[in-house]
This record gives sequence, C-alpha cells and structure tokens, in this order.
Amino acid sequence: MSETPATVTVDHFRMDFGSTTVIRDLSFEVRAGETFGLLGSNGSGKTTTIRALLGIYPPTAGRLLIDGTASRPDAGVRLGYLPEERGLYKKEAVLDVMTYFGALKGLDPRAAKAWSSAYLDRVGLADKEKTRIDKLSGGQQQKVQLGVTIMNDPQLLILDEPTKGFDPVNRRLLMDIIDEQQANGATVVMVTHQMEEVERLCDRILLLKDGAAHAYGTVTEVQDSFGAPTARVVHERPLPRSDLWRVQRDDAGVAVLEPGPEVAPDALLAALVAGDAGVTSFQITRRSLDDIFVEVYGADARSEG
Amino acid sequence: MARHNLGTVIRFEVGRTLSKPRFWVAILAVPALLVVIGLLVSLSGSGTDASTAAIAKSRFSFGYSDASGIIDPGLAAKAGGHRVSPGSGPAEVRAGTLTAFFEYPATPAAHAVRVWGADTGFVENGRYSAAAQNLLVASAQARIGSPALAALAAGSVQTDVTTYDARGAVTPGLAGVIPPLLYLLLFYLLILLLGNQMLSALLDEKENRVTEMVLTTIDPTDLILGKVVSLFVVAVVQILVFAVPLAVGYAFFRTSLNIPDLGLSGLSLDPQRMVVGALLLISGFALFTGTLVALGAAMPTAKDAGPIFGGMMILLFVPFYAVSLIVTDPSASIVQIFTFFPYTAPITALVRNAFDNLPLWQGIVVVAELTALSAIVLRVAVRIFRFGSISYTSRVDLRTVLRRPSAARADGAARRAS
Repeated sequence: MSETPATVTVDHFRMDFGSTTVIRDLSFEVRAGETFGLLGSNGSGKTTTIRALLGIYPPTAGRLLIDGTASRPDAGVRLGYLPEERGLYKKEAVLDVMTYFGALKGLDPRAAKAWSSAYLDRVGLADKEKTRIDKLSGGQQQKVQLGVTIMNDPQLLILDEPTKGFDPVNRRLLMDIIDEQQANGATVVMVTHQMEEVERLCDRILLLKDGAAHAYGTVTEVQDSFGAPTARVVHERPLPRSDLWRVQRDDAGVAVLEPGPEVAPDALLAALVAGDAGVTSFQITRRSLDDIFVEVYGADARSEG
Repeated sequence: MARHNLGTVIRFEVGRTLSKPRFWVAILAVPALLVVIGLLVSLSGSGTDASTAAIAKSRFSFGYSDASGIIDPGLAAKAGGHRVSPGSGPAEVRAGTLTAFFEYPATPAAHAVRVWGADTGFVENGRYSAAAQNLLVASAQARIGSPALAALAAGSVQTDVTTYDARGAVTPGLAGVIPPLLYLLLFYLLILLLGNQMLSALLDEKENRVTEMVLTTIDPTDLILGKVVSLFVVAVVQILVFAVPLAVGYAFFRTSLNIPDLGLSGLSLDPQRMVVGALLLISGFALFTGTLVALGAAMPTAKDAGPIFGGMMILLFVPFYAVSLIVTDPSASIVQIFTFFPYTAPITALVRNAFDNLPLWQGIVVVAELTALSAIVLRVAVRIFRFGSISYTSRVDLRTVLRRPSAARADGAARRAS
C-alpha cells in the first residue's frame, strides 16, 4: 500500500481515570482511505481511545488528531460515529430524530429531511417516518441508527463494535454501507472482536494490550509477527535440498515448508520448480487472527471469566 | 466564540416539548380549572346574594326583654318586635306561639344576647341572631345621635400614612414592596416549573444512550446551555398560558368574577431594588440550574437523583420558616446565615430586597457569590456530564472526575499544538 497522508494521528496518548491508567503510551496512524482495525480484549482501552480521539474525553497526555486537528465539534470534519452504546431519542418520531442529528452534523434541515426520507425508503422504513423510535422493532432501530451514522457522507467513519447486537440482515446492510463508504473514499476505523470482519475488511490493524500497542501493521505483517508463514506444497517428486526453507512435515506428497528469513513466497516457488519437485499445488498459509487473538488475550479473557 | 449548534439544540428541544399534546393538556388543565372555578364562584356568588337578600326581606315577629335599657322600643316595633316577659319568652317559642325571642342582658358588651327561635333550617336560622344584633346596634347608634360618631365608635377609621426617607423623599410603603417581590414569585415559578425538567433533561440523553453521538457534534457546554435556554423558553410559554387568561379575566371580567382591585396604578418602582432583584433572580436561577444539571449528569436515573433534588427543594422553602424575622430583624444571625448560604441566599435576599432591608453592599456580595458559584458549578456540571453521561449505568465517581486538572491542561495543549 502506498504511503498516504494520515487522517488519524495518535501520538503518545496516555489516559488516566483517577489512579487507574487505561492507556499508558499509544501511538499510531490511520491513513486516508484505509480501513483500520483497533483490536483488544474487553477493558483494553479501545473505546476510551476512540472517545479521546473524538474529543469526548480530554487525554491525560499526548495528542489525538483528525486531519491534523484535535477533534472539536466545530472543526468541520465530516464524522460518522457508531458508538458501542447505541441509542436514539426513543419518544421522538424517526424523521425528527434523523433531521436533528443531520442538523447537528452540519446539514441544512431540509437536506437532512430529504436524505432521511430517501434512506428510510432504501431500507424499507418509508412508512415509519412519523413513528416513534420506541415503537420500532430492534432491527428497525438499528437501521435508523446506521442512517444517522452515515447521513453526512462521512470522510471518517468510526465504528465501535459495529456488528454488536445486529441481526444478520442488518449486519449485511452494515457491511454494504462500509463497502460503499470505502468506495467513496472514506477512512474507516473499526473497533471489533470479530476477526473474520477484520480479515475481510481491514488494511491495517493494531492490537491493544496493557495500554499500549502490542502489534501494529498490515494484517499480513501482524500475522507474520506471530510466526512465519508456511507453504503447503503438493509435489509428485522428491523435494530438492535448499537453504531457502526448512521442512516442517513431508508426508504422502504433501509438504509444509517454513520459508527462511527474508525469503519471498515466489522465490520459494521458483526454487521448487527449478528443483523439479513436480509441484501441483502451492499455498502460503498464515496464522489466523483468531489464533493470534486467543494467544494475546486468552489469559485476560480467562481472568475475566 | 460562536456557540456551535446551540440554535439547533434549542429548536429541537423547544419543538419536541411544544409539539407534545400532553404538554398542552397538562398546562391548559390549570387555567381551564381556574375558569371553571371562577364560573362556579360567580354563579354561587349570585346565588348567595339572592338568598341573602331573600332572608333580609323576610320579616318575622319576635319578642324581646331588655335588661340593659339600650333597646329603642320604636325601632324594635318597626322591626316587628314587642316586649315579652323574660320568663315566658322561651316557653312561647317552644310552644310555637312566638317565632323568636331575644333576651338582652344588662351589659351586652360583656355578656351574650340569648336568642330562641323556631327552626327554619341551618342557613335561615341565622336571621335570628342577625336581627338581634342589628336591633342592638341600631339602638346604640340612635342613642349616640350621630351616624358619623356611631361609625367611629364602631372602629371604622381609615388612615393615610406618608413617610419620608433620610433625603426627605416620600417612601412608597407596600406599593414599593410588591414589584421587587414579584422576582421572588418568578424565581419560585421558574424553579418549580423547570426544576424537574432540568434534572431530567440530561437524564434523557443518558437514559437514551445518545450522549456519545451528540458530543461528537456539540460541545457539552453548548448542549447544556441549549437545554437551559429551551427550558426557559418552555417556561415562558407556560407562564404566558397561565398569565394571559388571568390578565384577560382581570381586565374584562373583574366585577363578575369578584376579583379585588389590585390597584396596579399605585405601584412604585425603585430602580435600585428592581436591578438588585433582577440580578438576584438571574444569579440564583443560574446556581440552581447548574446544580440540577450536575445532579442529572452524575446520577444514572431520575430515581437516583430524587433524594438530592428533594433536599434542594426543601432548601428553597427553609427561609420561609424565618420570614417574619427576615422582614423585621435582618441583623439576626439566622437571617445573616440564610442571606449568605448559597442555596438559601436567593430567597432570603429577594425577600429582604423587596422589604428594603438588604443593604446595597450585601446585595452586591450575594450576587457576586451566586454568580461565581454558578460558574464553578456549571463547569463542574460540564465536566461531570462529559464523563458521567457516558457512565450509563453507574453513578459518577466525583473524585475521579474532579481530579483531572492535568487532563484539561493536556486537552488545551493538544488543541494549541494542532
């Protein structure tokens, strides 16, 4: 991925609540247009980091910048934020609530109303415009919540546990929306426990542990930092001897090879082909993020349980 | 700095309150009830007048005995009376041969006039004692010989007092007390109408879990300011809904509704007391508002906030237990304590200001104290809201929230750096 300007900069961020230090020293960047995953166990400080980034909590120390500016409501950055704790004004009508949030996000009230009507039509709630929020089903409320999140065409979309509590239909809707926002050039920051979502959506990730970054980089880089990738090779003839790999297992024509340091997968394949191993299948496998998550946070989860 | 999104919050809050049918039902119920009561009073008033006139007109014959020698036999005969032996009067009444018998004692001023009569119902039986009294009074007045002296002897004396202050100017008396006392009424109205709503305004945000989304679009200070302003607007609407029917009733239906003449044209406005009163009202209102907002932000639900809210409401009424002392002896220790203790100060100082026993310097000190404390409480409220409003299910640890000067400095530093 080419270097692009940072949309989010977190620089030596520290956060204390009374005598409790939640974030010790955290630095990372989120580049424009990328999808970034902020991962960690419960209580690791993910939500605190997001709240500080959004200016809801003032940091104890350090800088948290969006487009080079500390986040303020009047900074002019188009933000879409789906907090972990969700809610809307339950006793108000759907269209009134959406129009209000649109106006708070800087839209002209008429434009906010028009956008809301179009969105409600798209998600099958056109006849619910005047219905009170608390008269909607849980799934319908989730749709309204999503609409409120994206109604200002956000340049930075921050999603805290985005699929938490969502039914499968709305989860699909959410994923479609994230895809759309990405296609429109939005930068996306996701806080999640769902590793399959991370692997599918995120360009880069950060694993937060003990108030600091435990691992940080592209998904591949993070995976590789927890153990070298391996090559699964199906071959018809004996493998040649080479310093480029170490054979972990070779049984019935299926071998698992561990490439040496700095050995790229295509160099490995080229050496196998040159060695006349009769390769019929070649597949690089890495540790799953699920495994990595369990390795990093397993002890925390057990102590919580 | 322009207040970002303040207008949006005010429009939303005012709009959503005024668009609720239950709001109008609740506030129109009181004026409607007043109108109904007024009509009933008016109707029953005319009924009472009619029955009183009917009773007055109903003449009856009676006997009397007079040990005092005051009763004028001519007046008694004109009223339908004739002398009867004191021993036989009650027996004649009991036998039905006499409608009523009055026994005037030797000293009517010291002893009761005894009355016997044939029963004509609870209300109409009153005519016997009325007739007995009227005959005695009329006879006494006839003995004095002058209606004017008779009126004076009855204590019907009016005085017109004029007093002067140290500069020789005429002091207005009660006419000068009423206008600044209206601030006290307004203060009570505002707190009683808005107090509960102030408390629940932020709880609404909290209980609906919308705080986080809102705080990314508006500064907490502006949000709180918007809430307070919109509550104020709603309160003004409520007061107008109460006041307009009253004003219309007073202006056009005063006579038929038996409303006394308030003599509004005679009121006197003392500029100093009016200004000090206005400042006490504003600063006192700000203090109670800030405190209620902080309370709403710190507590997870309205139920949790209830006991402290109740305590604050009690503080509003505590000065009234010493109101006679506040009016007559402002130097008393308890009055001085009430004057300067922040949560009793608005009421006490407003009463003292109205009765012109609050020295200007004390007024200035109280206003300054309330203003400074309001600013501090409002800052604390904003800080509690920033942290507490996201503590959706738990009470805020105030020590944690308030022990964050470094956080505020870091925030400022980060903003300067950016």
